[in-house]
Amino acid sequence: MTAPTTTTGPGGDVTGPHLTDADVVVVGGGPAGSCAALVAARAGLRVVLLERGPFPGSKNMYGGVVYPRILDQLIPQWWTQAPVQRWITRRSTMLLTDTQAMSVDFRSQAWAAAPHNGATAVRPEWDRWLAEEAAAAGAQVVCSTTVTGLLRDGHRIVGVRTDRPDGDLTARVVVACDGVNSFLAKQAGLYEHADAAHYTVGVKETLALPKATIDERFNVRDRDGVDIEILGGTGGVNGGAFLYTNLESVSVGVVLKVPKLAAQQRRPEEIIAALKAHPAITPLVDGGELVEYSAHLIPEAGLAMMPKVVADGMVVAGDAAALCLAAGIWLEGVNFAMASGMYAGESVVEAVRAGDVSETGLAGYRRRLADSFVLRDHRKLRRAPSLVLSDRVQHRYPPMIANTIERMFRVDNPAPKPGLRRILAEERKRAGVRVRDLARDAWDAMRTFG
Amino acid sequence: MIAACLKWSAATGGWSAADQAALELGLQHAERTGTDCVAVTVGPAAAAGALGEALACGASRAVHVVVDGDLPSWDTAVALSAAVAEAITVWCGDYSADRGSGSVPAYLAALRHCEQALGVVEARPGSLPFEVLRRLDGGRRERVSVTGPAVVSVEGAAARLRRASLRAQLADHSARLTTVAGPPADHLDAPVVAYRPRARQLPAPAGAVALDRIGAILHSGTPARRGETVELEPPAAAAAILDALTRWGYRAGGAAPGGATS
Repeated sequence: MTAPTTTTGPGGDVTGPHLTDADVVVVGGGPAGSCAALVAARAGLRVVLLERGPFPGSKNMYGGVVYPRILDQLIPQWWTQAPVQRWITRRSTMLLTDTQAMSVDFRSQAWAAAPHNGATAVRPEWDRWLAEEAAAAGAQVVCSTTVTGLLRDGHRIVGVRTDRPDGDLTARVVVACDGVNSFLAKQAGLYEHADAAHYTVGVKETLALPKATIDERFNVRDRDGVDIEILGGTGGVNGGAFLYTNLESVSVGVVLKVPKLAAQQRRPEEIIAALKAHPAITPLVDGGELVEYSAHLIPEAGLAMMPKVVADGMVVAGDAAALCLAAGIWLEGVNFAMASGMYAGESVVEAVRAGDVSETGLAGYRRRLADSFVLRDHRKLRRAPSLVLSDRVQHRYPPMIANTIERMFRVDNPAPKPGLRRILAEERKRAGVRVRDLARDAWDAMRTFG
Repeated sequence: MIAACLKWSAATGGWSAADQAALELGLQHAERTGTDCVAVTVGPAAAAGALGEALACGASRAVHVVVDGDLPSWDTAVALSAAVAEAITVWCGDYSADRGSGSVPAYLAALRHCEQALGVVEARPGSLPFEVLRRLDGGRRERVSVTGPAVVSVEGAAARLRRASLRAQLADHSARLTTVAGPPADHLDAPVVAYRPRARQLPAPAGAVALDRIGAILHSGTPARRGETVELEPPAAAAAILDALTRWGYRAGGAAPGGATS
C-alpha cells in the first residue's frame, strides 16, 4: 500500500504517487454498497467496503417491503439463502379518517412461491447477508469506520479519509453509498441545494406478537405476509402510514413530511400512538410488545432532488443519490439501492479496465441507470411525490371518499336510497373540493400512473 | 506470554464488550511487561476474521481452535488451556456475546491449577504482583492481588479496546494466525440468529388517562410482589419453578429454554 505524500484541508488534497491502496473503496455497507462491492470484487478488482456501524446493516431501517428480483442478476436463487421474514402474499391499500377505514385488498398465492414478489426482512440481517456475499467474492469489509471526508488530487477524487488512526485510503474510484444524508455527495458538490421539503421522516415501532396471533389476525399462514399501505392516519401531517407483518412481530409506522411535521410541532411517537388507537388498526396490533423504535430520513422527492451521480473518481448510489421511489401505491427503496449499486459496480469495473475513471470514463453508470427501471420508473412517476403529498390528496379526498362510501352503504329507511352522483356532489362540497381541482388532480393522476 | 481469550458470536459477528476489555488489558499487560500478547478463540471458521481485528489492534499472534458447532464450557476450557499453556496471565471476558454462562474462565483456572480473579471491574496490569478490583454482591468491591500465573475475567467497563489503524485493519495477518483443529462439537440443527425474547401478547393497561395507564404498567400504588419461599421435595420444587416461569410469561407451551453454553 502506498500512502499519499501530502494531505491538506478537512478532506485533504493528495499529491504524490499515483499507486492506490485499492481499486475501489465503497462507503456504506447497505444494499447499494454491498451490491457495488460484490460486482467489483467478482470482476477481480481490489475492493474495500467501509461501514461505520459495528456490522453492515446495524444502523439501517426501512418501512415496508423488499422487492429483490433485481438480485436474480447477482445471486441466482437468492430466495434460498436470503434472510426473509415473510413473503408478501396480501397487499392492502387503506384509507383512514378519524373513525372510518376503507381498504382495497389483494391476495396472490403465486407470490408465496419462488421467485416471489416482495418480502419483509430485518434490515440488519438482510444487509449483513449481502455484505457477506461481497466479502465472499473478495471484498474487504471494514466495520466501525466512519468516512469523514474525500481525498482529492485537484478536482479528482482519489480516496477517502476515515476516523481511524492512519486512516486515509486512496482508491481509483470511490463509490458513495453513505445513505440519505450523503456527506460525500455534498462534499463533492453533487447536490445543488438541500431542501427539507424533499425529505420525509419514517418512524417505526416493531411490536412482538406470537406467530399464531399474527397469522390469525392477518389471515395468513406459514411464511405468508401482509403489507398494508395507508393514506391518512398521520394526524393531519402530510405523509402516509404502514403496517406489515414479520415472522413474530408487526411493524407499524408513519412517514411524515418534514416541514409539515416541524410546523405542527408534533412528536412522531404521538402520531404512531394515535394510529395504533384507530379502530381499524387496534385489533391488528393490540397486545404487541414494543421491541424496537426507529426513525430515518427518506429522500422522497424523486427526480426533483436527485444529485449528479458521477464525478471525477466517484459515483453515488442508493439513498445517497436519492434513488427512493415514493409514488403512493409504489413505495420502494431497497430494490433501487441494490440495482443502482449493481450498476455502479459494473460501471466502475468498465472504467477501471479502460484506465479512465474520470467523469467521462464513469458515464456508463448514468447510462445504465437511465436505461433501467431505476430512472425510467422515476421519470414515469416524477409527478407522483408532489401529487400524493399534496394537501388535497392528504386532507380533502380521504374524508370525501370515506363519507361517500359510508352514505352509500348506510340504510336510512324510511328514506329511500340517494343516488351515488348526488352523494358524491354533496361530499365534494362538504370537503371543500372544487370541480376544477378534482378534474386537474384526476388528469394528473392519469398522466402519472396511467 | 500474556493471553487474551475471546468468544466469537455468530449472532453479533463479534465479541462482547467484556472480551474487548480483556483484549485491551492483555495488550496493556504485554506492553508493560515487554512480552507477547496472544489472542485465542475457540470457534467456527468465520471467527478467523475477528482474530484479524485482534492482530490489527496489536496482538503478537493469534490462535484459532476451530470447532464447527458449540462446545460445553468445560470442553472449551480444555481446548483453550492447550493454546494458553505458556501464558503467565490469561485475560477473559466475564460474559460472551451469545449469552453464555461465563463459566469458562473458572474452568480454565482449575485446569491450569492457577490463581483466578473473576468479575474484575478495574485493573492496572503490570509485573507481578499487581492488583485488580472485583465486584462482589451488594455493591461491594474486593481488591485482589495477582501474585502468580492467573486467569482474570473482566467486565466490559474495565477497559475500552483501542482502535486499530486503517492500515492495520487492511493488512494481511494470516502469517501470524495459527489454526488448530479442536475437538468435535455438538452440531446445531437450527441456524444461529440474533437473540430475541419470546413474543408474547400483553394486555393493554387500564385507565382513562395516560397517568393512570402508566401507573397500571408500573404497578404504582400496589404493594410490591414479594418473593415466595416454599419448602418442597426437588421434583415438586422444580415443577413449582416451571409453573411460576410459565405464569410470568418466560416459558410458553411447556418448552424449556436451551441449556447453557460456554
